[in-house]
Amino acid sequence: MKFQLQIIHWLIFLWLITLVFKIELIVDYLSLFINYLGLLLNDSSAAISFLKFSLLDVLWSASLFIVLIPVIFIFQKKLGFLKRQLNFSFAFLTVLCFTFLFAPIISNDHPEFSKNLSVTKLLAPFSSVKKLELKKEKKEFTSEAELFRLEMNEIIKPSFNNDVIIADSVRIAPSVTYYQKNEATEILSQQLKTEDGQPLVEEKFFLLGTDEYGRDLFARLVYGTRISLTVGFGAIVISFIIGILLGFIAGYRGGLFDVLLNRFTETFLAFPVIYLVVLILALFGSTIFSVIIVLGISGWMSLFKIVKSEVLSIKQKDFFSTAELVGLNKSQLLLKEILPIIMAPVIVNLVFLFSNVVLAEAALSYLGLGTGNSYPSWGSMISSGQEYITKAWWLIAFPGLGLILTLFSVNSSARMLGKAVNPIIEK
Amino acid sequence: MKSDIVKAILTRFLSSLLTLFLLVSFLFVIIRLSPGDPTDKYISSKLGTELSEKIAESFSLDQPVGDQYLSFISNLIRGDMGISYNYRQPVFKVIWEYFSFTLVFALISFVLQMLLSIALALFTAKKQNKNLDKVLSGFSLLIYSIPAFVLGVGLIYIFSVQLNLFPISGLKSIDYENLSFFFQFLDKFHHLVLPLITLTAAGIALFYKYIKEGIDDVLHQSFIINLRAAGVEENIILKRHVLPNAFRPLISVAGVELGVLLGGVLITEIIFSLPGMGRLTVNSIFSRDYPLVIGCVFTAGAVMIFANFLADLAKLKIDKRLIKGILN
Repeated sequence: MKFQLQIIHWLIFLWLITLVFKIELIVDYLSLFINYLGLLLNDSSAAISFLKFSLLDVLWSASLFIVLIPVIFIFQKKLGFLKRQLNFSFAFLTVLCFTFLFAPIISNDHPEFSKNLSVTKLLAPFSSVKKLELKKEKKEFTSEAELFRLEMNEIIKPSFNNDVIIADSVRIAPSVTYYQKNEATEILSQQLKTEDGQPLVEEKFFLLGTDEYGRDLFARLVYGTRISLTVGFGAIVISFIIGILLGFIAGYRGGLFDVLLNRFTETFLAFPVIYLVVLILALFGSTIFSVIIVLGISGWMSLFKIVKSEVLSIKQKDFFSTAELVGLNKSQLLLKEILPIIMAPVIVNLVFLFSNVVLAEAALSYLGLGTGNSYPSWGSMISSGQEYITKAWWLIAFPGLGLILTLFSVNSSARMLGKAVNPIIEK
Repeated sequence: MKSDIVKAILTRFLSSLLTLFLLVSFLFVIIRLSPGDPTDKYISSKLGTELSEKIAESFSLDQPVGDQYLSFISNLIRGDMGISYNYRQPVFKVIWEYFSFTLVFALISFVLQMLLSIALALFTAKKQNKNLDKVLSGFSLLIYSIPAFVLGVGLIYIFSVQLNLFPISGLKSIDYENLSFFFQFLDKFHHLVLPLITLTAAGIALFYKYIKEGIDDVLHQSFIINLRAAGVEENIILKRHVLPNAFRPLISVAGVELGVLLGGVLITEIIFSLPGMGRLTVNSIFSRDYPLVIGCVFTAGAVMIFANFLADLAKLKIDKRLIKGILN
């Protein structure tokens, strides 16, 4: 049998690459995880007080990373889609989901981290700077909770860190001097973290460069996938629920409700949705939740149409009247009799919807009406990059490329799915 | 037959009116549901309750909601959408100033989309080359997947920043007033090249896909084989028999695509700082100019409903069978 490259091989390859390059970080995260479990047993109130999103994020992604491969092998049979032949779209979508799940592992830097602006501002891709770290005063901690806090602060990078100095270059002998844009500063070597008696000078590497606030573009890009995918998934879940329910009711019951709903969908379909979304977000405020809800509510119309027409045709079938006569109630009818049949066209529609939502989210962020400033979004990165278009092409090139590839992959997967589900289209 | 056509058009018109009515009601509900007192948006509440009560009275906020709704609708019908906070002019007048640009811009783009996609589809249909089809279909998907703002900013980077061929933004040069009429036109065109590419590219890709699918569909039907067997020239078959039939999938989505176009106009106007409705809408949102925002959204919706009505009329003209569908 000829060997066929499948999604699963690509996934394992990504996993191995990440493991090799990020092994130290993963070990750190895992030890943090184990210590946290220990703390949870001994001093649970302290453990719960440490609980915040960044810690949870690290713990969950590290543990998932370790169990990922075994889980895949155990549930191989159920995860049939992983056996599909690899192509560009699937490969990119896999990378995207991988980044979504393991963002803290792939990029250890906080996406909002910015320090010593004069040095780090608008660095080109592949540039690197020197990094010095101040020594922390060693206190003797006895309680386990304090020790854990110290370890946590060491491993999980905060958005601001006063103990880090970033410089263009560093001279160690005779005295430690660091240079920031022609400005030399001397520093006592006792203040610095040391390694083998020498002051520790690390190289900080920016793969994709930095933005106008000296923030690492790679980290922002990685965390930006989370915004796009979260909004995408959240919105299509809402659209799915609304579309299926209303479609079922309209198709099954008919009557006045059906007529009204039809007019309503026509209104929505005839409307340039972005105007409406912009209006609602402006009136009600834009957070990630309001963006998800508004995009979800504005996308169910095509789904409604599909479900309604399918329900209308299923209603005539014998098996359905049998199920009705047997006495299944409405939710059973919907879940057991209708949903399995209409799933194929619905899924294709959902994938198209997903790409629309991702696009809409990016466009809203570009307009400044997106998910706020708490997380970097690709759209807002492009919008702020446009101001520096003459100086820093990478600020728009990388997020733009990410968006294009994401949308292309989703669209072409949807097209492939559509062909697989409905072979008649392809003559 | 003739009375049927009139009936169909009338039905379609009434349903358009109903849609417009639904849109207005929807707008009213959203505005009433939105947090904050409308008087707060107009003046600061620190100025005293007396003043804010006076303003609330002038907004008819002391009347029952039903009455407010009725006066909202009657005002809209009379074209009275209030006074813009920023422009200190009736909203209707402000929108009118900006609307003409957007209309011309969108129409040019729409015509370009149609012409280019039809030409491209015809070209590939003539070639009958499987590989070319595959490449073009992948390429069109790629173009379709490029968000307007990424394409626009990319074009600015290549053609304005690097090659210095086109202006970065705006519609007129600084010395616009001193130019002769012909050069004024040329200047505007020069400014509009990049925005037009941005707005048109995705549409070409999409329309190409629909027309190509339509052509492939028709080419497999038996009457084409019949025509070939009768010895009709391939060129004539393509132009007179295939193409008109191939428009069907295109026409059925044209109305919806107009909405996409209007959304694209909004983004494009922002990217290139063009003086149109889209930029007006977004600017009015950020300056909290609520009457203007509502006016803009209403206008956009009304235009869409009208355009859909026209699209349906065009459909009726092309395909008489649709009359029955509307009458049912």
